[in-house]
Amino acid sequence: MTTTGPSRPAASPARTPSALERRYRRLLLAYPRPYRAAHGDELLDVLLESADPGRTVPALKEAWGLLVGGVRSRVIHQARGSAWADGLHLAVTAVAAANLAALLPYAGTLPLWTPLSALALLAILRGRVLAAFPLTLLTGVKAVAIAGGWQPLDLTLLPVHPTFLSDLPLYGDSSPPAVAAGYAVVLTGLLVLASRRQPVPTRSWWWCAVVPAAAWAGPDWMAESTALPLSLSRMAVETAAFGLAAAACYLARDHRWALASGVYLLVASGRFIEFADHLTRQHLAYWGVLLVLTLGAAFAPFRQRRHCLD
Amino acid sequence: MYFVLAALRAEPLHGHAISKAVKELSGGRVQPSVGTLYGILERLNERGVIQVDREEVVNGRNRRYFRITDDGRALVEAEARRMQAAAALVLRPAAS
Repeated sequence: MTTTGPSRPAASPARTPSALERRYRRLLLAYPRPYRAAHGDELLDVLLESADPGRTVPALKEAWGLLVGGVRSRVIHQARGSAWADGLHLAVTAVAAANLAALLPYAGTLPLWTPLSALALLAILRGRVLAAFPLTLLTGVKAVAIAGGWQPLDLTLLPVHPTFLSDLPLYGDSSPPAVAAGYAVVLTGLLVLASRRQPVPTRSWWWCAVVPAAAWAGPDWMAESTALPLSLSRMAVETAAFGLAAAACYLARDHRWALASGVYLLVASGRFIEFADHLTRQHLAYWGVLLVLTLGAAFAPFRQRRHCLD
Repeated sequence: MYFVLAALRAEPLHGHAISKAVKELSGGRVQPSVGTLYGILERLNERGVIQVDREEVVNGRNRRYFRITDDGRALVEAEARRMQAAAALVLRPAAS
């Protein structure tokens, strides 16, 4: 039955979806929820009409097309609103996640401050910048105090030893200025976002999964005598995040992800500058990779259109 | 994108019909996946090169028909002229 006009789809009688339909529906999850709600059935209709009779598994070309199309649609969907404000919020989220990752292995010995840091990240993820500010300020004061060996808020036995994920004492390889820089960036960003008096968007819950991966000090791969050991898992997380940011800038021709990468790289560079005399080729190569990805993200939106229809 | 716009010059079409027309017009050389095709349609729609002509509900599923706009028609014709001029450089009889 066919009806015309821009109406909602009519309720179809209950039926069992075929294996192919179920599998295509799973692939359509690559698309953002609003797009799926508006056009998911339309795409499914075309996919099923295009499929060979008797097929139960999606064609490889169609599956790849849906995954790439879905990711592209998600990126375009994200590139809305003020680019600098959204990029700043993204940068604040990333640095706050790194701040929490630094404290997470010490949750057993810092049972108050680690949850406070997690609450700060949670508030940032939900776009509650005013709530995040005091939580970040308190955690930041305590973190800088631990790095400097001061006891302004409560007594903490120094050095703080980890309970899991790491085997180094807290801020054993960081100075108070380097720790303060991470919190100062978050606090400044929160102030700027709060001063706009406009709603701040929420961020994905995937940021919570990033924290333990960035907190893990392993697997061991550098010499034990290295002054600034780099965590392989953290390197993987950061490289993947910077790579995704560059790809998003390329696809959406938008700078918001480049801004976030640049701010995060500035904060991360603080530790490299602090250990400038002890850096190995691995350190410089890794920093170079992050720099190249950030520059790639910054220049990607300027890429030329191949032709007038691109 | 070129073949999508070329397919829409005759009449408004829905996704599956566009896919079949693109394959036919290109002699089977261009067969975009559904994900790729709808990515192209969304981008052309955002740029005002095509627009939704009407929506129909078939078997309980929404189906959008797209039509080319005047800007889109001018754009695809300009692109065709450009390709014709480029092809003429190679295909015209060599001056003796």
